[in-house]
Amino acid sequence: MVLAYALSSGLTTGALYALVAVGLVLCYRTTGHMNFSHGELFMIGGFLAYTFHVMLGAPYIPSLLLAVLGTFVLGLVTDRTVYRPLIHAQPLAMVMATVGFSFLLKGIGRHFWGGQGEVVTFPSPVSPAPVWVLGTPVFPQQLLVIAGVAVCMVLLIAFFQFTRAGKSMQATAENPHAAYLVGMRVERIYALTWGTSAALAGVAAVLMAPLTLLTPDVGFILLLKAFAATILGGLGSMAGAIVGGLILGVLEALAGTYIHSSVQEVSAFVIIMVVLVVRPSGLFGARGLRRV
Amino acid sequence: MSTDMDNASRRSLAALLVGRRTVFLLGTLAFAVWPLAFNPYLAYAANLALIYILLAVGLNFIIGFAGQLVFANGALMGIGAYCTGLLMYDGGWPFWLALPAGAVLSCIIGLLVALPALRLQGLYLALGTVAFAQFALWVFIHWEGLTYGNAGFVLPPISFEAIGLGKDLGLYYLSLALVLVFVLIAYRISRSRVGRAFIAVRESEVAAEALAIDLTVYKTIAYGVSALYAGLAGGLFTALLGVVVPESFNLFQIVLQFAMVIIGGLGSIAGAIIGAVALISLQELLRGFQEVQEIAFGALLLATLLFFPGGIAAALKRWVPGWTETHHQDGGGRS
Repeated sequence: MVLAYALSSGLTTGALYALVAVGLVLCYRTTGHMNFSHGELFMIGGFLAYTFHVMLGAPYIPSLLLAVLGTFVLGLVTDRTVYRPLIHAQPLAMVMATVGFSFLLKGIGRHFWGGQGEVVTFPSPVSPAPVWVLGTPVFPQQLLVIAGVAVCMVLLIAFFQFTRAGKSMQATAENPHAAYLVGMRVERIYALTWGTSAALAGVAAVLMAPLTLLTPDVGFILLLKAFAATILGGLGSMAGAIVGGLILGVLEALAGTYIHSSVQEVSAFVIIMVVLVVRPSGLFGARGLRRV
Repeated sequence: MSTDMDNASRRSLAALLVGRRTVFLLGTLAFAVWPLAFNPYLAYAANLALIYILLAVGLNFIIGFAGQLVFANGALMGIGAYCTGLLMYDGGWPFWLALPAGAVLSCIIGLLVALPALRLQGLYLALGTVAFAQFALWVFIHWEGLTYGNAGFVLPPISFEAIGLGKDLGLYYLSLALVLVFVLIAYRISRSRVGRAFIAVRESEVAAEALAIDLTVYKTIAYGVSALYAGLAGGLFTALLGVVVPESFNLFQIVLQFAMVIIGGLGSIAGAIIGAVALISLQELLRGFQEVQEIAFGALLLATLLFFPGGIAAALKRWVPGWTETHHQDGGGRS
């Protein structure tokens, strides 16, 4: 009973970590850079949905779409202000720049949506009463989260398999120079990548908001979880990010249930450190992109 | 011919007047009379600036010289603060003994962190050290038996009666003396074989190895030195505040200290000093406005990287004679 409850809540949060991590990996594969402001895109997405849904009273679905559109635009802004000017800079400059950008966004989030320690709650669009699945109580919001994440994954796979833009994105990830030479507009693809990556964070934020409390500091916590998921799955591997996210979610829930609730917070850092020391290539052994 | 001579002598005169050595002397003098001339709050702010000079110069070793993207400096500062504080609070040690002990302990912990980190490069190193920094913060908060948790603890009083000064002035002049000594040491290291080896590692690890530079040895030295500076600064920080609480060593330290070395100019000791003084002044001006601080420091860090990648050091090198910092990475990481 306790185990089943831990597993179901672990899989739910794990699915969200996977979604955030997939956005992070998408950006990393195509651009070769890790976006340290990805978590803040998540945070702003959550607060945008809160603004539309709770403060302005818009229905859930339009609020979701507006919030995702908002984070998509924010992703384009990241591309124009951070990535494109520093495209030829060393990784160090890019990491520092995204760290700076993340604090800029965090300050903006704090300015508009409350000070430290203040949290806002987001009502669930579905009934809070649990339903029974295979003898286990499951909250409808959890099912909604898992369904939402699954839909996003299917859409993403379809995007890569069947659309021109998706195929161009894969080609650019493989070799930007070759993609440019065969006539792909690499800069547009980069912009689309940043936007899509941010939009995935936005979807995750809207799905997660009813389950947890929104604070301006939530972004960095989510970023670390997504880092842990990508490192565990193997940096640069999409499937790895999904599996890593799910494993992290379940591990956290189990550690929180059977050891101590404070251990839940620390499991992501421990996973990052242990995987980096023992097997830096992660579970799926995907070698990181090597750009000299 | 004679105009060349005139130009040369004029330049050397200018270098004498506004050169690094003169400005350092004047700066030291200004810091020395500052607490006597201004009120206790301004003296406190100047003391904070002195402590951050140590932190920025230390961080510059690992990021600016050795080129290792490490996020652990705030955590190592916290470890220095906790070691010094706990040795005084629980161990009953006097401050003059607890401070160096805390610095050495955080140096040792920094070296322990370095052991796994030596295998990592670039992004992996950044992610690993971010995780370490958050892990250290978690330990500060949750290991209540040792660290007293979120509430922290109040430091026993520190006395400087042996040298005839009150606590505030004594700590101020101790910080000033330590800053002078450790900045001189930093310059000595940067001009030595070790400093040149750091630069070689930064520019290309493969080329450095081809020059028979042992990556493991020199990276370990860089980690150890920067952890020592951070630990010492942490001990002074704790003495200045009089309390030890985990939230002093949170994520904001990362952006604050990164901004100092980047705005000062990566790889420039003078730049790190100027960056530390400038950003602590800004932080004190914006005291109490957390979101404004976050926006300001984030935007400054970003704007420096975008528009002035060499930082203050590049501007000084260009416009003021006598300010060439040999190890300064002009272009701030642009390849």
